[in-house]
Amino acid sequence: MAPSDLRRPYKRPQLSDQQRRRELSLKRQEQSRDAELHARRLASTLLSLPPEQQPSESE
Amino acid sequence: LAGIELPLKQWPELIEALLSNNNQLPAHTRQATLETLGYICEEISPDVIEQDHVNKILTAVVQGMNSAESNNDVRLAATRALYNALGFAQANFSNDKERDFIMRVVCEATLSPEVKIRQAAFECLVSISSTYYEKLSPYIQDIFSITAKAMKEDEEPVALQAVEFWSSICDEEIDILEEYGGEFTGDSVIPCFYFIKQALPALIPLLLETLLKQEEDQDQDEGAWNIAMAGGTCLGLVARTVGDDVVPLVMPFIEENISKPDWRQREAATYAFGSVLEGPSPEKLMTLVNHALSFMLNALMKDPNNHVKDTTGWTLGRIFEFLHGSTFETPIITQANCQQIITVLLQSMRDVPNVAEKACGALYFLAQGFEDSESSSTQLTPFFQDIIQALLDVTHREDAGESRLRTAAYESLNEVVRCCTDETAPMVMQLVPLIMMELHQTLEGQRLSSDERDKQNELQGLLCGCLQVIIQKLGSSEPTKYVFMQYADQMMGLFLRVFSCKSATAHEEAMLAIGALAYSTGSDFAKYMSEFYKYLEMGLQNFEDYQVCAITVGVVGDISRALEDKILPYCDGIMTQLLKDLSSNQLHRSVKPPIFSCFGDLALAIGENFDKYLMYAMPMLQSAAELSVQTSGADDDMIEYTNTLRNGILEAYSGILQGFKGSSKSQLLMPHAPHILQFLDSLYMAKDMDDVVMKTAIGVLGDLADTLGANAAPLIQQCVSSRDFLNECLQSEDHLVREAAEWAQLAIRRAISF
Repeated sequence: MAPSDLRRPYKRPQLSDQQRRRELSLKRQEQSRDAELHARRLASTLLSLPPEQQPSESE
Repeated sequence: LAGIELPLKQWPELIEALLSNNNQLPAHTRQATLETLGYICEEISPDVIEQDHVNKILTAVVQGMNSAESNNDVRLAATRALYNALGFAQANFSNDKERDFIMRVVCEATLSPEVKIRQAAFECLVSISSTYYEKLSPYIQDIFSITAKAMKEDEEPVALQAVEFWSSICDEEIDILEEYGGEFTGDSVIPCFYFIKQALPALIPLLLETLLKQEEDQDQDEGAWNIAMAGGTCLGLVARTVGDDVVPLVMPFIEENISKPDWRQREAATYAFGSVLEGPSPEKLMTLVNHALSFMLNALMKDPNNHVKDTTGWTLGRIFEFLHGSTFETPIITQANCQQIITVLLQSMRDVPNVAEKACGALYFLAQGFEDSESSSTQLTPFFQDIIQALLDVTHREDAGESRLRTAAYESLNEVVRCCTDETAPMVMQLVPLIMMELHQTLEGQRLSSDERDKQNELQGLLCGCLQVIIQKLGSSEPTKYVFMQYADQMMGLFLRVFSCKSATAHEEAMLAIGALAYSTGSDFAKYMSEFYKYLEMGLQNFEDYQVCAITVGVVGDISRALEDKILPYCDGIMTQLLKDLSSNQLHRSVKPPIFSCFGDLALAIGENFDKYLMYAMPMLQSAAELSVQTSGADDDMIEYTNTLRNGILEAYSGILQGFKGSSKSQLLMPHAPHILQFLDSLYMAKDMDDVVMKTAIGVLGDLADTLGANAAPLIQQCVSSRDFLNECLQSEDHLVREAAEWAQLAIRRAISF
C-alpha cells in the first residue's frame, strides 16, 4: 500500500530558487547553442549568395 | 519473488493458488492472501496479469471488502489490496455494472466503524479520482456527501483523505483545462466535467471550516500536516480550477474573521485570502488587494500572534507573486506605498525565524516584479543598499538555521541581484568580495561534527548559488563585466576547493557557477582547464547524483563554446566519459539527451577534429534515433522524454554537420547521411513531434544539404523530408520552425543546383 500522507507544499513557492537557477542555466545553454547554429547558418547563406542578390530573390 | 517471476511467466499457478485460499480458510490466512495479492499488484505492471486473473483478483478483493465480511482485519487487507489493484481495473471500470459494484463497495467501506478501513477506502477514492476521473460523474453527488461528512466530523487521518479527494479532482481539472489552452472543443481528448465548479457553493464552506482547525505552533514544525493545512491547500487548488467564481464565496468569510480577537479566526481569514490569489483574474482581485495591503502590512508588524504574522507574510508574498510586475496596468507597488512595504519587510526580517522567512519570501517576489525593468532605476533603487544589508544580517543570525531562514535570505538576495540596474550594480559589485570571503571561511580546515558539516555544505551551496547569479548578472553587460573579472581567478580557486567537500548539492552549485563563469570569461577560461579538468571528469562519472552529472554535461557545452578549439586537449577524456555515460544502465535516463546535445557542442568547437570520434558517436546516435521513433503505447511522460531525446540527437547531428562544414573531411559524413535522412523521414511519419523537435529536425536537413552539398543531393531528393516535411514546416505557425525551414529550403536548392 502506498503511503497515505499525501503532503503538498504548504505556504511554500512551487519553484525553489535552486531549481530556477538550474532551469535558467539550461535555458541559457540552449539559447547559446541555437545562437551559434543560427550564426553559422546565416554566415553560410551570406557567403553563398551572389553579391547583388537578396535571399528573397534567390527563390 | 512474484515480482521477479510473474513477468517472466515462471510462476503461472500462483494467482490461482492464492485465489483458492479465499473461501474456506481461517480469517488470518485470508488476510495474508489479500495482503499478498495487494503486494503483487503493487509490484508488477498491469500487462503481466491476464484479464481473467484480474477479474478473479478484483472479485476476491471486493468480496473481502464487503460489509458481509465480519473480520475487520480481512476487510482492511482487502481495501488496501484494492488500492493497489485499481491500476489493473481499466476493463472493469469501463463496464458499467462492474464499476457500479466496485464503487458501491468502496463507498460502503468509507462508512465502516473501523477508522483504518475508512481511511483506506478514502485512499481508494483518491486514487480513483485521478485514474478514472472520466468515469466519476454518476457517483460524484454521493462522494460529495461522504467526503463532506468526513471533513466535518471524522478523525483527522480520514478527513485528510476526504480533502485530498477534492485536491486530486482539482489537479485533474487544472491539467485538462490547461490542455484545452482556453479553447474547449467537443473533440478534446479528455472531457472536463467541471465537478469543482458544480460543487463550489457547497465545497467552499466545508474548506473554510477546516481552516479554523489549526494546531498550536504548527508553523514551527516543518513536518506538520493537518486538516487546516490540507484545507487551505485545497482552497488554493480550487481557486486555480475555477478562477473568479471562488472570490465572492470566500470574501464574506475573510471579512467576518480578519479582525476577530481569536487568532485562529484572523489566521484562517488571512490564509483564505492568500490561498485564492492565484487563479482569479487580476481585475477581480486588484481592488480587494489594494484595499487589503495596508491592513496586511500592519498585521505583519503588529499582530500579537506569530502564526498570524507568518500567514500574513506568506500572503504578502503571494500578492507580489501574482499581482505585481511590469505586465500589470495598475501597479500594486507605488511611489506612495513602496517605502512602507520595504520598511515593514526589513523589520519583519528581524522577527522570529518562521516570520522572518516569510518576509524574505515576500521580498523575493517583490524584487522579481522589477526584474524585467529596463530603466536604470526602479522603485527599489533608493532602498537597495538597505535591503542587501538586511538580507546579509539575516544570513548571519544565530537562528538562521531554523525554518529554512538562511536559505530564504540567500534566495531573496539572489533575486535582488537579478533585478539590479546600472545604478545599483556597484552595490552588487561590493557584495562579491563579501560572499567570496564567506565561502572561503567555510573551506578552512575545521573539525566538524557530521551535523555541522551538513550545514556547512548547505551554506557552501547557497554561497556558490549567489556567486552564480552575480556572475550572470554582472557578466551580462560589458562595463560591469570588465570590473568583475578582477575576481575571476580567486573565485575559480574557491569553486575548485568546494569539490573537495563531499556534498552533491555543493558540487552542483559550484559546477553551475563555473559554467556561468566560463560563459562570461570566454576563451580566457582556458587557463583554468588543467586544474578544473579532473573535477569535470569526476562530475561526468557521478552516476549516483545524476543531477551533478547532468549539470556537468551542460558545463562541457559552456566550455566548448567558450574555448572553441582550445578544448581539443581535453576532448579524448571528455568523449570517453560521455560515451561511457551513454552506455550505462545505471545513469538516469534524463542525462542522456543532453549528452547527445553535448556531442554537437564539442563538434562545433573542434570542427573536423571530431573525425576520430565519428566511429563511436554515430552508431550511438543511430541506435538512439531508431529507438526514439518507436513510441507506440507510450504515456505522456514517455512522449515528452522521447521528444527531448530526439531533440538531443538532432542537435548532435546539427553540431557535427556544421562543425565539418567547409572541411576536406566533410565527406566522412556521407556514409551517415542515409540514416540521418531516414530518421527525419521516420519523425515526419510518426506525426508526434513537438515544435521544438520540428525546428531542430528541419534545421538538420538544411545542415546536411549545406555541408554535404551536391554529393548528398540525390539522397535528399529521394526523401520525404525534403518535400512534404519541408512544406509543412514552411507553413508552420511557429516562426522559428518557418525560419529553420526557409534556411533548409535555401540550402537544399543550393545543393541541388551544383
